[in-house]
Amino acid sequence: MSPTSVSPADPTPEPARNSSLNTDTEALDPFAMLALADNQQRSIEQQMGSFVPALALIWAVAWSVGFTMLWLIDGLAPKFSLPLPAAIITFASLILVAAGLSTWMSIRANRGIKSSAESAFTGIIYGAMWAAGSIAIIVFGYGLEANGMSAELATIYYPTAFVLFAGIMYVMAGAIWSESFSAVTGGLLMVLAVVGPFCGYPNHYLWFGLAGGGTFALLALVSFIRLRRVRALAEGGGRHG
Amino acid sequence: MADLDPVIHAQARLRITAALATLDQDQSIAFPRLQELLDMTPGNLSTHLKKLEDADYIVQTKEFLGRKPVTYLRLSTRGRRAYEDYREQLRALLDREP
Repeated sequence: MSPTSVSPADPTPEPARNSSLNTDTEALDPFAMLALADNQQRSIEQQMGSFVPALALIWAVAWSVGFTMLWLIDGLAPKFSLPLPAAIITFASLILVAAGLSTWMSIRANRGIKSSAESAFTGIIYGAMWAAGSIAIIVFGYGLEANGMSAELATIYYPTAFVLFAGIMYVMAGAIWSESFSAVTGGLLMVLAVVGPFCGYPNHYLWFGLAGGGTFALLALVSFIRLRRVRALAEGGGRHG
Repeated sequence: MADLDPVIHAQARLRITAALATLDQDQSIAFPRLQELLDMTPGNLSTHLKKLEDADYIVQTKEFLGRKPVTYLRLSTRGRRAYEDYREQLRALLDREP
């Protein structure tokens, strides 16, 4: 294929195409070429990771509103008490919507990317672990209740176990896919989980809502600032490393 | 600059190689997605991919998604090494500059 040959699907007008090819085949000075390579990699990173701040913000809202709803069951009693079904339905809905949006955004960001069979296997096992681990926590809880765990203690066990499990899974994801952002998030969730029970019922819900929601909000802000910096470097150039 | 790899030492091919180098070694990317990320026309991208393929720097595989053929691309081991060497050469050139 000659340098000027084009696919029939190429909609670019001939002059623009030739001009673009001429520019594309030229080389710049070493500094500019190195900057071009760095900026291109930053641009890819920015484009593929642009969903992260929104994702963290969605979880910030789900945690802060969801757990606050649970806290409102008894947290302001006797002045105010949110009916149990309303609190649980709101909490579950928020978590399910956030999980659904997370899945959709991750799939969309990774569209067109194909991994090897080994990597796909890792992803399938990891995804299945979320479901298997969640079911295990519930069955384990039923087992404890069957052996005398009180209803009040159960309200501490379930959310704490889920937050701890989520933290472990985030750390695992960070380790498997070398994602420091995920590993840090997981570590913070694990700290929140072990502190939670010491707040006692119902204030542990408020702790998970404020500290957990705040953690995700902070991560949203940090990832937003980081992406903006990457975008500025990718668009405006910058010193190579 | 005579020693610089002429296959990579062109703006478009450097951008393509740099983009493919961001993927893991076992990952490949569909042609339309790469085109979208690089903001290049299909014809321009095809032209430069052909040059990279002729140098064995990329591996192309064709698959069918339903009835639609999709081309997936990834850097070969040789291509990844060539890109890393190219960057090293650029750095060495810059270090030599006063």
